[in-house]
Amino acid sequence: MSQPIRNAVTLNIDGREVTAPEGTMLVDAAKHGDIEIPVFCYEPKLGEPVGACRMCLVEIEGIPKLQTACSTPIRDGMTVYTQTDRVKGAQNAVVEFLLINHPLDCPVCDKGGECPLQDIAMGWGPGKSRFTDPKRHFQKPLPLSPLVAIDRERCILCYRCVRFSQEISEDEQLVLHERGDRSFVGTFDDRPYIAPFHGNITELCPVGALTSYTYRFRARPWDIEDAGSVCTLCPSQCNVKFTVRDERALRVLARDNEDVDDGWLCDKGRYSFQMLASEERITEPMVRAGDGTLAPVSWEEAISKVAAGLRDAGTASAVLAGGGTSNEEGWLLQRLLREGLSSPNIDSSASGARADLVRELSSPALGSRMRELDYADAILVLDTEPLNEMPILDLRIRKAVRRTGAQLLVASEHPSSLDGGAAEAVRFAPGEAAELIGALAAALGAPGYEDDGPHAEKAKAIAELLRTGPDPVIVWGERLFRTPGAVEALLACAKALGIDKRLGPGLLEVPESANGRGLREVGCLPGAGPGLAPTQTGAAASGIRDGMVNGEIKALLLSEADPVRTHPGSEAWRKALASTFVVSIAMFDDPSTAYANVVLPAESHAEKEGTVTHPDGRLQRVRPNVPRPGQIRPTCQVLTDLAATLGQTWDLPDQPAVLAAMTDDVDFYAGISDETIGGQGVRWQELASGRSWGPAVGGRTDNQGDPPPASAGSGLLLGTYRDLWASEVTERNPALRFLKRGQMLEIAPKDAETMGLENGDGVRVSVNGTSVEARVAIRTRMEAGVGFLAEGLAENNGNALVNGAGTRIEVEKTAPAAEFEAAGMGQKATVLSLEGEAAAR
Amino acid sequence: MAAETRILFRNIDEPGLASIRTYRRLGGYEAVKKAYQEMEPEQVLHELEESGLRGRGGAGFSMGKKASFLPRGDMDKYLCCNADESEPGAFKDRELMQKNPHQLIEGIIIAARAAGANRCFIFIRGEYDLQGDILDAAVEEAYGAGYLGTDVLGTGQQVKLVVHRGAGAYICGEETALLDSLEGKRGNPRLKPPFPAVQGLYGGPTLINNVETLSNAPHIISSGAEWFKSFGTEQSPGTKVVSVSGDVQRPGNYEVELGVPTKLLINDLAGGPPKGHKVKGFFPGGSSSPVLTGDEGMKLPYSFEAMQEAGSMLGSGSIIVFDETTSVVDLALRTARFYHHESCGKCTPCREGTNWTVKMLERLTRGEATPMDIEVIASVQENIIGHCLCVLGDSMAMPIGAMVKKYRSEFDDKLISQSYSAAAKAA
Repeated sequence: MSQPIRNAVTLNIDGREVTAPEGTMLVDAAKHGDIEIPVFCYEPKLGEPVGACRMCLVEIEGIPKLQTACSTPIRDGMTVYTQTDRVKGAQNAVVEFLLINHPLDCPVCDKGGECPLQDIAMGWGPGKSRFTDPKRHFQKPLPLSPLVAIDRERCILCYRCVRFSQEISEDEQLVLHERGDRSFVGTFDDRPYIAPFHGNITELCPVGALTSYTYRFRARPWDIEDAGSVCTLCPSQCNVKFTVRDERALRVLARDNEDVDDGWLCDKGRYSFQMLASEERITEPMVRAGDGTLAPVSWEEAISKVAAGLRDAGTASAVLAGGGTSNEEGWLLQRLLREGLSSPNIDSSASGARADLVRELSSPALGSRMRELDYADAILVLDTEPLNEMPILDLRIRKAVRRTGAQLLVASEHPSSLDGGAAEAVRFAPGEAAELIGALAAALGAPGYEDDGPHAEKAKAIAELLRTGPDPVIVWGERLFRTPGAVEALLACAKALGIDKRLGPGLLEVPESANGRGLREVGCLPGAGPGLAPTQTGAAASGIRDGMVNGEIKALLLSEADPVRTHPGSEAWRKALASTFVVSIAMFDDPSTAYANVVLPAESHAEKEGTVTHPDGRLQRVRPNVPRPGQIRPTCQVLTDLAATLGQTWDLPDQPAVLAAMTDDVDFYAGISDETIGGQGVRWQELASGRSWGPAVGGRTDNQGDPPPASAGSGLLLGTYRDLWASEVTERNPALRFLKRGQMLEIAPKDAETMGLENGDGVRVSVNGTSVEARVAIRTRMEAGVGFLAEGLAENNGNALVNGAGTRIEVEKTAPAAEFEAAGMGQKATVLSLEGEAAAR
Repeated sequence: MAAETRILFRNIDEPGLASIRTYRRLGGYEAVKKAYQEMEPEQVLHELEESGLRGRGGAGFSMGKKASFLPRGDMDKYLCCNADESEPGAFKDRELMQKNPHQLIEGIIIAARAAGANRCFIFIRGEYDLQGDILDAAVEEAYGAGYLGTDVLGTGQQVKLVVHRGAGAYICGEETALLDSLEGKRGNPRLKPPFPAVQGLYGGPTLINNVETLSNAPHIISSGAEWFKSFGTEQSPGTKVVSVSGDVQRPGNYEVELGVPTKLLINDLAGGPPKGHKVKGFFPGGSSSPVLTGDEGMKLPYSFEAMQEAGSMLGSGSIIVFDETTSVVDLALRTARFYHHESCGKCTPCREGTNWTVKMLERLTRGEATPMDIEVIASVQENIIGHCLCVLGDSMAMPIGAMVKKYRSEFDDKLISQSYSAAAKAA
């Protein structure tokens, strides 16, 4: 189904002629005529109106009863009155009713000053109450979750939070208990509301009933400032605004952008502002002294040390850019490396993405906008778990399934939280992505693909549903690059579906890092320069690692990257980093800075000025909201200074200058400036420069992924996945620490039975002598013969065991579940991490 | 009893009527044969529309017209029989289901033909446990006899019927709340439009009818619309089973032609108030209808149009009589408490208004109210009426509003000043 075309409808509201698109609700149409109709329960983000609060009653000519403007679609020639005595009477009545049980504690309420109930009571209320009886009372405030407090006396029962939980995040934890004026919002059995998006309810609440513990009593609306930025903690790149008081960020709010985030934030993005002003931040340059400790130095000294180290390494230098790196920084990094040091060794992810395939996939004809998901007939989620890797995408997919009835198809190694709502969910073993997608290509009739192998049946089922309508969207994980042949097969599927021939639907990649797409497009990819132009092929991440170990690479610059934690082969990375000159631009000490010779402080996304590129090609601005702490300098400036020390004079004094130079260099970014990006971002595909896209001609590059099976033992095949909370962010923000999770070995019930393991048992999982400790979690929707570990944990990181595809693990039981229970470390430890499975119903 | 006109109640006291054998012996299930074997769905629908049968659940909307709103076409359509009879004063559906369940089932099968529905439900209030059991048994018999199932009477039509027991909320008798409850959700009314006929149960077109309405269908099909219209008045054709309760000597269900004098129902059939007492007033259509005083109400004909003209309504056809020993203030409080207890809480005016009204009336009965309070009680009722999501709020506000208006002096007698002067006199 394509995006519907909506005709203009003209109606009369309060004597003004108002024109709005058909299907618009009266309350929204009124805004076109500068008429405000007050609402409490209406929130279009939550889906269909419910008409519960009755605040928006208006008079419509020809209809005897007053109607709710939130639920009445406009019609041509309609005559509406919002100011008559009758309407005013109804508005007064509703405000009076709402206030009879609402405490008048505005002076101590966090919502005071930014409260819709206050505003509407002032604007549309009777100004006084005739209610003289006792108000209803509840115990207050109570923790609804470790992060959100609930004050039930303030609640006006608008249902927004309950609807969010039931119909948006679909965690289905919030419900309304009791009925009538005894109704109250809560969870079953008063359990804590723990779900990855639950912070949104504090923003939805039109009164002070739901407040964040991180913001309660910290500031009043008249002593704060709001400023916008983009969250760069994951590829969702949600539009946010920071609430700043006294130069400190105290809160993160959503900045609605339907093209990006639909106005939602995940809890990781919402509560991660605490780390910005953390005492643990690296705020000055540091150099490792002879005794092995890092000591603060001046910027000049640090930069000359870095320059000396890089100059010594020369063409044997390398750069790894992490997801927080902006486009400008990425572009300067590759320029520093390629022009200043004549080295081709730069990469921005662990996937080993191939330059020629990336170029082909970047074609505007193949890509899909985020918004396209709302109109997709079918959505195939291919080897990615949006909840973990791009959380907001999870909500967007659920929305498509719930509201427009898109067919959801899931094909992944690891069980997905989307399985429950899927028309078809299939599993394949780690490393088999190419076979499965190949089978799908065959089922779709792509030339050169034939299959009657084990995946043929699953593939046929998916192919059939993908074809139910003309507009399928395929959401795929960058992880596919790790399996040779998988992305080629994906391209064949896209062509067989004719995706390149229709406007709109297409492929949407979930990159492994926040600015993964932008970094590649500005040239942080081996074999592809700015604008994905073919260039000399260098080493990819795994090649850099191996090169460092065997002496071919002598210096590494890490930009907001922590390969020990996030890249496969933690031990190998440790060895590599220990044996060379390492510079790390980082916000915090991490396992990789532990090996750095020079550490430079990095800016956070609340301090940085720059641009990032959303996975659908939308350039967005990251903007400074708070001052940089300590000695921190803009990374762009640091890189320019470094280049100068290395003899390169760039004349790029500030971010706009770097952006201008970069857009000159990246041909399809041509003409983009901070102004064209604006507050909502701009997709390069939709600009003149993007429409003239022609695939760059370039030779095939070799796959840079990890080599195929190193060992083929008898144990379970190892699979790894990224977990939302398995990241440094969870540890650096006190509010999120309760979500820090332990390692779990996820296995199928059949394997658990053969191995004599039960849920919660302690196990040691080993590969060639390296081992991690984990607890057993039995999962039903898994292939037998596979064991899954999470990547990116601070301890017992699954990455420690990854050794190329086809790694097999030995599992040894260390302690029965009962022992953990006795020590108070029972089910709770696993319950938190299994929420994804629960959310899948 | 001569004044009664028994159609639905024709064989109501026949022993064993609840069994399919007796029901069939007395001519049951002939109408369904006619509807399925001799008539096209359109003819069945036409006959029902033509009969002018008005819904017996409260709103009094034409049953045939409602059925005709369902879209044509090949899709799952639903029919829900609303057997959540929870209105104080109403107990007619209970007797109809308990004594003659097959009449209802036959009506459902016929209505399903008219509406093209293939999946039917009886949503019966949980407290009607005995009636639920009787229906369960009757439905099983009907399946066994081939009136229900995938091939009704060998016509290839599918009509499945499930008896679903509610969990005890008055609001689930509101048709959209009934649908939510049936779907397994919290029973809250939905916003209309979309109306159930377009988007009802599980999003499909749904016809919802009351037990008594559906029980009329077999008779209309066997004897025809013209025959049906020969009973009652022009705007209120047919008969009505009326539950009469309260201060009368013979409370019970009486089936009469619509339009008979109300006096006949209260005084002749139900025996009138106890000896020596007189009718002070009555609810003509269940506790949600505005009360009529004895003087204005007794002379009215008992029909939809007459009751509406008098500013009240026929509703579900349940008369609650009160004599002069009843305090209207107590009655108001009792009524308000019921609606306060049953308000679902979804929309503001009903949730807060019922609560506020109860608090004020409680204060009044304690003798602690000021004259302004009575004005506020009246004004709050006006603020509720017409502003709610469903009719539950109005159901309290209309009778309370009428009581304050018609029996104002009784309210004034309870004021704080009065209790002071009473205390002063005593001292």
